[in-house]
Amino acid sequence: MLQRFLDPATLASISGLDLVAKTVVDGFVAGLHRSPDFGFSQEFAEYRAYSQGDDLRHVDWNVFARTDKCFLKRYRGETNSQLLILLDTSASMSYGSQPVHKLDYARFVAASLCYMAHGQRDAAGLIIFDEDVANYVAPSTRQGQLFRLLHAIEEAKVGTHTDFTKPFVHFQNFLHRRGIVVVLSDFYEKPEVIIRTVEPLRFKGNEVILFHVLDPQEIKPRFREPVLLVDMENAREALEVSPEYARNEYRRRIGQHIDDLSSQARSHGLDYFLMDTGRPLDEGLREYLAVRKGRF
Amino acid sequence: MGLPVWLHLLRKHRTNPLPFSSLMFFEQHIQSSIKHRRLRYLLLFALRAALILLLVLAFAQPYIRQNILPTRRTGEVTVLAIDNSLSMRAGDRFARARREAKSAIGGLNPGERAQVVAFGQRVQVMGEVTDDHASLNAAVDAIQLSDSRSSFAELSRAVRSIANSLHLPLHLHVYSDMQASALPANFNDLRLNADVRLESHPLVTRTEPNWAVENVVAPRRVYENGKTRVLATVASYGAPKAIRTVSLELNGRTVDTKQVEVPEGGRASVEFLSLDVPYGRNKGDVKIDSADTLAADDTFYFSVERADPRKALFVREAGNDAALGYFKTALEASGQSAFEVDPATIEQTSNLNPSKYSFVVLSDVGTLPPTFENELRGYVRSGGSVLIALGRNASISNQVPVTGERVEATRYSGREGDLFQTAAYLDSSHPSIQNDNRWDDVKFYRAIRVAPGAARVVARLTDQTPLVLDQQLGDGHIVVFASTFDNIDNDFPVHPAFVPFIEQTARYLGRLDSGPASVTVGAFGELRDSKEVGAAVDVVDPKGDRVLSLAEAVKAQNIQFEESGFYDIRRPNGRNELVAVNADRRESDLTPASPDTLALWQNTANGTGSGSGGTTAPERRPMSVWWYVMVVVLALAVAESLLGNQHLSVDKEAA
Repeated sequence: MLQRFLDPATLASISGLDLVAKTVVDGFVAGLHRSPDFGFSQEFAEYRAYSQGDDLRHVDWNVFARTDKCFLKRYRGETNSQLLILLDTSASMSYGSQPVHKLDYARFVAASLCYMAHGQRDAAGLIIFDEDVANYVAPSTRQGQLFRLLHAIEEAKVGTHTDFTKPFVHFQNFLHRRGIVVVLSDFYEKPEVIIRTVEPLRFKGNEVILFHVLDPQEIKPRFREPVLLVDMENAREALEVSPEYARNEYRRRIGQHIDDLSSQARSHGLDYFLMDTGRPLDEGLREYLAVRKGRF
Repeated sequence: MGLPVWLHLLRKHRTNPLPFSSLMFFEQHIQSSIKHRRLRYLLLFALRAALILLLVLAFAQPYIRQNILPTRRTGEVTVLAIDNSLSMRAGDRFARARREAKSAIGGLNPGERAQVVAFGQRVQVMGEVTDDHASLNAAVDAIQLSDSRSSFAELSRAVRSIANSLHLPLHLHVYSDMQASALPANFNDLRLNADVRLESHPLVTRTEPNWAVENVVAPRRVYENGKTRVLATVASYGAPKAIRTVSLELNGRTVDTKQVEVPEGGRASVEFLSLDVPYGRNKGDVKIDSADTLAADDTFYFSVERADPRKALFVREAGNDAALGYFKTALEASGQSAFEVDPATIEQTSNLNPSKYSFVVLSDVGTLPPTFENELRGYVRSGGSVLIALGRNASISNQVPVTGERVEATRYSGREGDLFQTAAYLDSSHPSIQNDNRWDDVKFYRAIRVAPGAARVVARLTDQTPLVLDQQLGDGHIVVFASTFDNIDNDFPVHPAFVPFIEQTARYLGRLDSGPASVTVGAFGELRDSKEVGAAVDVVDPKGDRVLSLAEAVKAQNIQFEESGFYDIRRPNGRNELVAVNADRRESDLTPASPDTLALWQNTANGTGSGSGGTTAPERRPMSVWWYVMVVVLALAVAESLLGNQHLSVDKEAA
């Protein structure tokens, strides 16, 4: 069952690319990314005079024995980063004009990222939400974490409509460590609302990446004839749409929405990447990673 | 038709609900575009339905009965033809014709050219082709009534000529009373060119009653002292039975008056026996009191001249008086003693001068005294005439006197062979025999055969022997009769044909014009013969004006009489003449031509004329419209393609 998500070819292509942290985020794999903080690993960094309140466990007793002065040994920390994936499972995510609908595509991305984080010994967590938090797997590097994550992803059910406010508040409560937060959603909300909701995560030192998952039919809808569109998140809402409108006005508006979201995200220090479900999964991820690597 | 219905109605799009992730970027107002699209869809349906419907219609050869107004063709010239014949004098016909013509001129568009013609017996072009209304109106005003008869054939011929010279389409307006008598006997003479549109404007639609003096029979010349007989015919044209008073006038003085009952639509004759003609040329006329609208035909003019008989010399062999008796008797039996015969024997001719005789008769004279024969030759060359009868003496002398022609043979009929000869061939165009050519029973026992030479053979016998020869010598004529007038060589003198032969021959040789006492308008009169070149001839018309200019007076060979009345012709040799001219009495019949006939005339121009009745009323005629339908089909096909492309343009991208 897991093979459905962990396509070896896809994972191999992702594994070939290192996800490099942009600023101060810990690397996915210990040793690969040096932590900007001093930690307590085996690699010595420097000595520091003891000051009141320091942990006595880090006192170099050998030096104290020789010099009768207390020094603390400081080591370069090799900390693992924490990856937290927020997967939107609202009803709109079940739309798809391709063999793989948006939610499946998001599942692929989430699973791939989890697998990659697991390979780098990074703690990976998952929050599945729609209008509320549907499932939560706390970030961990424990044995079996990957399978828990994949299982949670597999079990994610299509919910109702999206509400960013509630799950993000909930998420802020869960988040204790800095890390990378990946939001997989179709973001059918005003860009201001999305940015306003997501931005507080950035204040806590997290690197926030918005994966905007959209179907090609949502980006460039093509209808042969007028269609009666029913809102998947609200079945009572329906509109008859002409092909001309879909071809002209709608494209302009969705393009404007994407541009607004992208620009506002970047202006607030958030990474934004549009994932077209019509494109191959590995190609989209590789492109994103290439972009990230290019920035360093 | 089912195809577009099936495409558009049965396969009409049914909107199935389609789940979509979010309607966040759709708005309510887009419904209008849906309506527009549906409207276009219906428009497309309508176009396709109309396309097929019109295609079917085009194959059904549709036509419409359309009011076709007479359209003006490119460069079309309007020809206004106004009848100025005698019948237009009736009532106010001519004034109305002028008014209607001027009204038509006023209706011409600026730049549209027209021409005015007047037609009677001839067509008179009144002006150039112009678009100047003032000139056209002046041309209409310049048309004067005439006494001639109208001829639609002449008008058609003139219009054909105008059309051929202008090389432009013509629109012919005819303002006339459309007399049936003006139509030609041969309808083909009315034929118009294909590019001529005829529009007739009949001024009358029903027959108006009219009486007229149709004819007067009176002698042109009177030679005897006594009462002269005048026979007048009064005709009724479409008029009821009535009693008319008929007056005979001479030189303006009423000689006699009679009343006659004229039957309805018939004729009545009046005989006047009381005319006493004085010497000289006299103007006579017969009048009726008709009180109809056409007064011009109530008077019939005739001229009568009183003169002394002319002398004719009859030369015969002494003792042979039988021929003289028959000849003289025949001349006197003709009714008018125009000639007085002076008999003479051959021996008496030595002292005679032939120039004082109207003509000379040589009755089987054999050989003449040379001096007289020479004088006769000179007499003939200067215009005199000789009648020669050949008999026994001619066969003896073996030559024809005066002409000197040799006698080839003498044909005898006897108990052996043919008992007699008869006249096998008669040239009835010759003045001698033109009015009576019944010579069938005349037996000729002896005839002198003369080589005709340059002479005209007027009659031949059954054995082809020339019987009557007419030879011109100089200005005169010599008529040779190859037998005698004595009832011996033939029995001609005792046959009825003898009298008219002698009478006509005498008139022919004596140059005595035997024409009628009057001629019709349009006839020609001879003014001079060939030897009178250079001499002035004076002609005074009925109004007293001189007809000929000075130049014409010395050159004109003949003259056409255009007015009714008396023409006084004064010749330099004193041969003056008073010619009575009357209008053609066919003009008196005011019966208009039937509308069917006029319609036929209009249709001679390939049926392009307007309807009968002379109005410019539109004509209803079927007009095929399949070509226009096909053009519309083509336009619809283009529109359908454009609209269909626009309507289905999404398909290419969405496919």
